[in-house]
Amino acid sequence: MSALLPPWFKPAAVVLGALSLVPFGVIARARNVTTTSPRIHIIRDMDSQEKFKAQAESALFADGRAMRPPVPGTVARGELMDDDHLERGLDPDGKFAATLPAALGLADDAKLAALLERGRERYGIHCAPCHGLSGWGDGMIHQRALLLTEKRPPEDGMQWVPPTNYHSDALRAYPVGRLFHVATHGIRNMAGYGAQMSTRDRWAVAAYVKALQHSQHPEMQ
Amino acid sequence: MSDWMIWKKGPETLPFGKRFDLHVRGVALLAVLGVGWVHLLVAYGASPKTTDVGYAPEQPVPYSHAMHVGQLGLDCRYCHTSVETGAHANVPPTQTCMNCHSKVLTGSPKLEPVRESFRTGKSIPWVRVHDLPDYAFFDHSAHVTRGIGCVSCHGRVDTMEVVSQVQPLSMAWCLDCHRNPEKHLRPPAEATNMRWAPPEGDTPDARHAFGKRFKADNHINPPTDCSTCHR
Repeated sequence: MSALLPPWFKPAAVVLGALSLVPFGVIARARNVTTTSPRIHIIRDMDSQEKFKAQAESALFADGRAMRPPVPGTVARGELMDDDHLERGLDPDGKFAATLPAALGLADDAKLAALLERGRERYGIHCAPCHGLSGWGDGMIHQRALLLTEKRPPEDGMQWVPPTNYHSDALRAYPVGRLFHVATHGIRNMAGYGAQMSTRDRWAVAAYVKALQHSQHPEMQ
Repeated sequence: MSDWMIWKKGPETLPFGKRFDLHVRGVALLAVLGVGWVHLLVAYGASPKTTDVGYAPEQPVPYSHAMHVGQLGLDCRYCHTSVETGAHANVPPTQTCMNCHSKVLTGSPKLEPVRESFRTGKSIPWVRVHDLPDYAFFDHSAHVTRGIGCVSCHGRVDTMEVVSQVQPLSMAWCLDCHRNPEKHLRPPAEATNMRWAPPEGDTPDARHAFGKRFKADNHINPPTDCSTCHR
């Protein structure tokens, strides 16, 4: 029987076969490590179109942002914010309101319960890190800040003021409108959360803080 | 010797018989194998699992999700506030960093770009890690409010010192979940919980059973039409 393949085939196949595994090894490694080099997109096609997505850069504007703020002096439809109670937590006489605004549409207890539940969730996201889940001013950020102030030299200039504990007579006397105002604009060391939470969510949080205060200070009957 | 074992019968019975010289046949066989090799190489090497997964760009500030989320327990939504209401999950403005860092670690050199951004009003040039092609439409709010958790697409961000892409974000990968979403579904209130597991336990079966129930109860029917994502 004559040979089917030339005599050089076997060694060639062994060498080439071994070499052909090298790229797979390189790829297997690339699949299992992280890299700071940009993603490889071989066929770019329409992957990166000449358009701006949210929060993209644009050289056209001095601040480098493609997203533009509203033109000064303009008000978008529905954003006039002319309801003092809803937007600023104020009574008609200009004092902080002790009631929730009618504009929240809390027609029945179920709606109020839903608002409080929403408040519980948002409180957990935005307030509990400092004020603690029960409002005693013992959140994780506070604990961490205490550790850091202990560890760091005083010349570092870090001064930590503990977050406010809601369960004092002074804080219990806050009308809900004032809690809303603080949630919106901040107070002393606390930043405002007007940009991070919607108006309704800030009311929900204010109402929930009131509920928290009651929960930790039950009245004997 | 069976009839189909032609290579044992000698070259004259092969296709084209003796017309091909021995060397030509050797080269031809190598060429055929080479074509197969190239196919395998492209399928393996040009897959998004190779080209995209593992991307972990260096950021202007060494922000650690492992520290802030994993240890301090910050919710994803403390910073990424628009994820439940918008298509885009925002990178937070510098103000959000300064909520704490105007008081905490005020002298840290690592935080200088943050303070500078706060002073000057210039954006911190964060580098985007997860970026879909511009022809794909994706809405975060549609997913997190219908029971898809952050972890399904972004992985265990709460353990990442440096965020890296862990899923291919390819069309096949999207479709896989749109066709069989059960194993990823969870109560929407648990969307940002990186460690959520069904009450029955953290097993694939329990997840699938929960997802199946949730899908039926909430009429979760992910569309797979072209125009869902390419509009």
